Amino acid sequence: MSTLEQYLSTDWASMTTHDWAGLIVTVLVFFGMLITFALALRPSKRKELEEQKYKILNDD
Amino acid sequence: MDTTAKPQYDDGVVKYLTVGAVVFLVLGTFFGTFAASQLAWPALNFDIAEITFARLRVIHTNTVIFAFGGMTLMATAFYTVQRTNGVKLWSNGLAWWTAILFTIGLLATVTTIGLGMTTGKEYHEQEWPIAIAIALVWTLYTFNFILTIASRNKETHSHVYVSNWFFLGMMIAITYLYVINGLAIPVSLFQSYTLFGGVQGAMIQWWWGHNAVGFFLTAGFLAIMYYFVPKQAQRPIYSYRLSVIHFWALMFGYVWLGAHHLQYTALPDWTGSLGAVISLAMIIPSWGGALNGMLTLSGAWDRLRTDYILRFLIMSLAFYAMSTFEGPVMAAKSVNALSHYTDWTIGHVHSGALGWVAMVSIGAIYHMVMKLWKTEMYSMQLINIHFWLATIGTVFYIVAMWVSGIMQGLMWRAYDEYGTLAYTFAESVAAMHPYYVMRAFGGFIFFLGAVVMLYNIVMTIRTAGARSANKVESLA
Repeated sequence: MSTLEQYLSTDWASMTTHDWAGLIVTVLVFFGMLITFALALRPSKRKELEEQKYKILNDD
Repeated sequence: MDTTAKPQYDDGVVKYLTVGAVVFLVLGTFFGTFAASQLAWPALNFDIAEITFARLRVIHTNTVIFAFGGMTLMATAFYTVQRTNGVKLWSNGLAWWTAILFTIGLLATVTTIGLGMTTGKEYHEQEWPIAIAIALVWTLYTFNFILTIASRNKETHSHVYVSNWFFLGMMIAITYLYVINGLAIPVSLFQSYTLFGGVQGAMIQWWWGHNAVGFFLTAGFLAIMYYFVPKQAQRPIYSYRLSVIHFWALMFGYVWLGAHHLQYTALPDWTGSLGAVISLAMIIPSWGGALNGMLTLSGAWDRLRTDYILRFLIMSLAFYAMSTFEGPVMAAKSVNALSHYTDWTIGHVHSGALGWVAMVSIGAIYHMVMKLWKTEMYSMQLINIHFWLATIGTVFYIVAMWVSGIMQGLMWRAYDEYGTLAYTFAESVAAMHPYYVMRAFGGFIFFLGAVVMLYNIVMTIRTAGARSANKVESLA
């Protein structure tokens, strides 16, 4: 087995409930971040978002 | 019906919290300067248990973080949520109850710590009855904030401005972090034992500890930045999209960092590595946010020559950028091996606390005072003097701690030719003396600035009516 394979090998059978809960939350958060950034950064959203910044200048 | 008409905002409670914040800034920096002086001149402990360094230092941190910082966050949240959503507070009465109970909770915290009642958990020293009371008050604050946003006119204010996101993220995160870290078994009225033992206790403690910095002292004050920098500069924030990315990156990222406080301990090694890696990754959104604030002045940098309040706000962003770079570097294991347990950590904390948190708060408070009392400041020149006292005091403080900390780290790890320690611990303490004097001096200068601010604000409020009358007369 190469060093990289050893490094990435995981003993799935020994995963506890806590380990699985942590893993699932981590993966969901990762994809949540990707989706959020994609939504915020997509070019079609630019005008809609940027026009919000002018509204507070006259709020009082 | 005129849907663009602005309501009469509930500003009474904001005024109370604003003045309260400045009073606690003066008290907190006084306690800090006195505690710093005790390290330089130990005779100042006077053998009085209630004011020994061990207690006074904790009284200082609680006063500046929760009393000054907390009141600033409440004042600015209640001020901005009304204006950005074009609506009065959901409940003015509840806001007043929140403010009064929070003040009582803070005074109870400081008093009990002075009497030696403490959980011993950093930034969570309140014993269980006070901790429960503070958590309930914080929930009232959050509840009122959320319902104020919910009660806005969805046609005229369909979008919720980003500063509200940062406030809300801070409120939710602090609620669950504070409650979970505070879970304890009471054994008497002012004595309890934490529910988490050993290494789990350490991990939970620093999960809270670093997020007290990440959410309370960063996300909350970024909310202040995203409202008050554009308002004071009279220019829109540089990039709204960047502010949205900044928000989500902070919310997702900060909760992972706590383990970097526990490098080289019984904690599994990978958790420290994870904490360090995410810390380094956080430089990107933090610098993005700092640049977003600074570039708001793009094309109008000359304003800094004449607008002293804007100087506070922009200088705070420079310190925010600096401390959010320094922190991740210190989280890296090789640097942490030198920096941990030394005064470098104290210097880092104060570049964030004095340079970022206090300065952005001070800028926002000056801005609010003029709006709330509908007047100019009593003296703009005193704001300029305050700016220089705060800046020079901060620089003195952090430079002293950088030199002291790195020197400590090097002395502690130095070996002689026989492989034994080159210096005793007492020798390293003696070597720190000049830097402790310099730190106390820096803190004193910052404290003087806070006194100048309180005087200027008191005089502004006392003369606001008279100056308004003079203005009307001159117009007539």
